[in-house]
Amino acid sequence: MWAMSSPPAPRFIHYLGAFAAGGLISLMLLTNGTLAQYGTLLFSSWVPHLTGTVLAIAILLALKPARVTPERPPLWAYLGGVSGGLTVIATSAAMNSALVLSGTIALGLAGQIVFSLFADARGLFGLPQRMPGWRDFAGLTLISAGALVLIFFGAAP
Amino acid sequence: MIIFIALAIASGLLVGLSRQLNGRLALSTNAWESSFWNHIVGLGFVSLIALIGGGLFTGAPLDAPWWAYLGGPIGVLFIAAGSWAINRIGAAQTAMLIIAGQMISGVLIDFAMGIPGAAWARILGVALILAGIWVTRQSKSG
Repeated sequence: MWAMSSPPAPRFIHYLGAFAAGGLISLMLLTNGTLAQYGTLLFSSWVPHLTGTVLAIAILLALKPARVTPERPPLWAYLGGVSGGLTVIATSAAMNSALVLSGTIALGLAGQIVFSLFADARGLFGLPQRMPGWRDFAGLTLISAGALVLIFFGAAP
Repeated sequence: MIIFIALAIASGLLVGLSRQLNGRLALSTNAWESSFWNHIVGLGFVSLIALIGGGLFTGAPLDAPWWAYLGGPIGVLFIAAGSWAINRIGAAQTAMLIIAGQMISGVLIDFAMGIPGAAWARILGVALILAGIWVTRQSKSG
């Protein structure tokens, strides 16, 4: 049964994939940020959702990837897109305050890290549970410190 | 002010929540299907907000350079990668590697575009992040 099977052992390719995905965020900040300069912030979120949906359909038709299990996922598992849409609204409200972009990003990273640690420790929403070790905390501390240096001192305002 | 701080933190919590839900969906389907549902459900939600709030097409969005419209395809790849990684290395390590990749690529893009910035901060920031990845990776090599 799928819930009982242990997740595949972590490999270098998984870390590389996640790291590369971070690079994609920078590209999206560039594309969507530029779009927001010409249109509204809502538009800069609506367009990528629309073109992304079209491409995702094309990929599904071309690759026809098989479902991992015949078992249906719970309905709430389909709500990731709502959470993503709410992110845009929360971010735009915060960055138009005294926090500006740098403060919003820094606090957002903090929220993301706290959530991920909690989610791992609890195995939240049916994902594999894994207790974060001291190396996870050490790594997070170093990466957060580096991120804060870059956010607040890296680029001239 | 406290409300904006709460909103900024909430935006991070929502990013984590979204990745967790998409990861759960990929566990029963696959990473590409998870990315598809994330986009089509998100499209419906943002469209709904636009219908209520209005002003979706305000401004001159058609004047934007063509490449500014490529965020969608990049996002499809991003969501699929996140849904794939979170079930293999966990939420915390996925988050920290995505943050690391975002920060380091941001420095490279700034550098390539000639955006001025403090060299010491860029070198120190990247060094700290690389050290963080190195520390975390030590535990995973079996």
